[in-house]
Amino acid sequence: MHDLRDLHDVKVPFGPQHPALKEPESFLISLRGEKITSMSVRLGYNHRGIEKACEERTYVQDVYLLERICGICSHSHSTCFVQAVEEIAGLRVPERALYIRSLIGELERIHSHLLWLGVAGHEVGFDTLLMYAWRDREVVMDILVKLTGNRVNYGINTIGGVRRDITADQIQEVLEAVRALEEKTKYYIQVATEEVTFVKRMSGVGVLLPEDAVRLGAVGPTARASGVDRDIRRDDPYAAYARIPFKVPTSTHNDVYGRAVVRLSELMESYQMIRKILKDLPEGPLTVRAPRKVPAGESLSRYEAPRGEDVHYVKSNGTEKPERVKVRAPTLANIQAVSRMLEDRYLADLPIVIAAIDPCFSCTDRLIGVKQEARRKKDTMSWEEVRVSGIRWYRERGIDFSSLNKELERWLG
Amino acid sequence: MNALFQIIIFPGFLFLFVFGLAAEFLDRKFYARLQNRVGPPWFQPLADFIKLVGKEEVITETADVAVFRVAPLFALATTVTAIFYIPLWHEKALLSFEGDIIVVLYLLTIPSLTYFLGGWYSRSIFSMIGAVRSLTQLFAYEVPLFLSVLAAALLANTWSLSKMTHFYAVHPWLWVCNAIGFLVALIALLGKLEKVPFDIPEAETEMVAGSFTEYGGRLLAFFRMALDIEMVVGASLLAAVFLPWGLGLTFLPGFLLYLLKTVLIIGFISLSRAVFARLRLDQMLGFCWKYLAPLAFLQVLLNLTLKGFLVR
Amino acid sequence: MSLEDIKAGLEQTFPFLQGAVSVPRPRRIFVDVGPAHTAEVMEHVVLRLGFSSLSAITGLDEGATFGVIYHVNTPQGDVLSLKTHLERTSPAVKTVTGYFPSADIYERELTDLLGIQVKGLAPGHRYPLPDSWPAGEYPLRKGWKAVC
Repeated sequence: MHDLRDLHDVKVPFGPQHPALKEPESFLISLRGEKITSMSVRLGYNHRGIEKACEERTYVQDVYLLERICGICSHSHSTCFVQAVEEIAGLRVPERALYIRSLIGELERIHSHLLWLGVAGHEVGFDTLLMYAWRDREVVMDILVKLTGNRVNYGINTIGGVRRDITADQIQEVLEAVRALEEKTKYYIQVATEEVTFVKRMSGVGVLLPEDAVRLGAVGPTARASGVDRDIRRDDPYAAYARIPFKVPTSTHNDVYGRAVVRLSELMESYQMIRKILKDLPEGPLTVRAPRKVPAGESLSRYEAPRGEDVHYVKSNGTEKPERVKVRAPTLANIQAVSRMLEDRYLADLPIVIAAIDPCFSCTDRLIGVKQEARRKKDTMSWEEVRVSGIRWYRERGIDFSSLNKELERWLG
Repeated sequence: MNALFQIIIFPGFLFLFVFGLAAEFLDRKFYARLQNRVGPPWFQPLADFIKLVGKEEVITETADVAVFRVAPLFALATTVTAIFYIPLWHEKALLSFEGDIIVVLYLLTIPSLTYFLGGWYSRSIFSMIGAVRSLTQLFAYEVPLFLSVLAAALLANTWSLSKMTHFYAVHPWLWVCNAIGFLVALIALLGKLEKVPFDIPEAETEMVAGSFTEYGGRLLAFFRMALDIEMVVGASLLAAVFLPWGLGLTFLPGFLLYLLKTVLIIGFISLSRAVFARLRLDQMLGFCWKYLAPLAFLQVLLNLTLKGFLVR
Repeated sequence: MSLEDIKAGLEQTFPFLQGAVSVPRPRRIFVDVGPAHTAEVMEHVVLRLGFSSLSAITGLDEGATFGVIYHVNTPQGDVLSLKTHLERTSPAVKTVTGYFPSADIYERELTDLLGIQVKGLAPGHRYPLPDSWPAGEYPLRKGWKAVC
């Protein structure tokens, strides 16, 4: 057990289950007093076998499956995938569909960044910001429900276009919501840059120098807050982004404060972009007919998700199922910079530094162990069988609860 | 018989129990309203307490059972004892002797020590770090708190809380001179009660629940009760030392005035909880030693000078 | 430098790349190279052509061989996919962590999911499969079927 001497070098398990982490992932840190001396990251707790599953489903099914990689950037993954398939199949997606994809993409960015702002507040004990930001996030969630029928996993993309149109009434509603959100966001910018304790917890924390950001492959707001001016929407335009003018906010703070400023400025840009999209929304059909069998080929698609660059590689083999689907979510690129950011920092900085890359571990992992030697006899188990097999599982590993129970009874009796 | 009544019913345990739950409710409700939430119904703290008391008591295998069990009771007992020496709605407290200021301040330090002991002897990594943090924090806020209370006592030239309130009753408006001390004590009280921005020892996103990580059931209920009562007693102490007016009233208006004063102080705690982010331990220590302690010294100097004028 | 120029330059510098470079659309270039020449082409592409960051590494089961694709990009938005093929028996590649420290996690994924050994990788946790995963089971190989 630990005695005083051990406190000089304590190992603290941050996860797989911990209040600071909203999804399971493990950070094992060594502490000297309050200082972090070393850290090891173990990923993979959210592995669900999505890449393998994609190979066993048709392209249309895959759109829905990939949309469920993550609840927050669901539109990013489905758009990224359909773009790749459309490229292989040589489809020319109608303009209106491209604009609607961009619109949903920007609305998703707004809800994701507002969510992040709340989480950042919570991680440093500023729960009021969490409550306010999430309250206002409901405005954009309601808009998304009205446009797509869902709060997350919008299901609006299909290969060759989008599935739902936008009416003139809906455009008015979106514009009103955007106006309201813009006012709130201005207030949040004020809070995040002026509230003394909040700024104190963010500035100078989680420093990632520009050269490290490039070297470690950081993407999205994490990279842009370190002065790395990269945005897939501008550098490698997709959907309607080539026709929408926008600025790419960057910051030279290199710390958590910079990341907050970049995200909040991106929100302001998104409002402006949504107005432009709705003004220019071209008339026309929503989809082109997509073939059931996609000709053999390969394609790489990139998408600027709220968290950064999302990459999908799709290889087809002429059948109705893809040969290979590879997903690289932005968090996997950013998580590798976290250890660098936390070098020589305090334990108290850990939650906010991890939160500042806006991690999404579901995106990162994508698969769970489906064991091959699992019992083939039956697919379902009754409650009693689960109980029995659970006891057997533990007994095989040398843990016997029946003796524990007896001991407990002896204790109580 | 009278003594027993005072200890168990009023202003002893039962009164503090009810007032503590009410204070927790007010704190939570006000905090929730500030955050645009509905907040809990009035009986929520009581329901939480009953639920916790009814739950199974789990003690980890590695924990030191004796300390683990005794710590919450100690916390509860010391906070309740402190109230007897604090004048509430009357110039005189139930008990008093020359030097009871020191006793009250020390009685109010013991809960923090029990949080440390309870956490340390839980022998779990999160509670141990939380425990060390509450002890580290103790050294930062106690000095300003002690200094500001002692500054008020210096002016009154006594070491007894009851005599002090009597002095301020005789010299009305002199309590205004202690305004700096009041501010310092309010902020230090936030540290003592482990409330935002000083809730570092139980920072949920870092240390799970700090010292209380391994606690559950009845023992956690006692700890939480002790925290509530500590909040009430701390507010009462500040009210008695820094807001010593209106103490000559009859029981009912006097009592209501006392409730008003303490509720105001509790309201300040909720407000700070809502508008600040949690500081880091090093920032907290820096703030307490760089700003709070010098301010408290300033109050001491001010009162010493004032006293020179008064004596003349 | 346009991608067509890069294509011509690559074919000139490495004669064996004749016909192995394709530019299917703006900002995308695919290079197919044998395992013997991967390292030198990679060095040229990263150090001299400015494809300085890594997007991802994809592993493929191509039936007779395994494929490994390095997706590297420039700050201007061009992506080069450098594809190499490995023998099915004891497939192995050299690590590229020398150029990209972040390649670490993608290479571990190759090892876990396809059984491609990566030479020169620093020791560390496996990714993404659990520690109790049975040895010799590689889920992304075509013959592997999930049973539950």
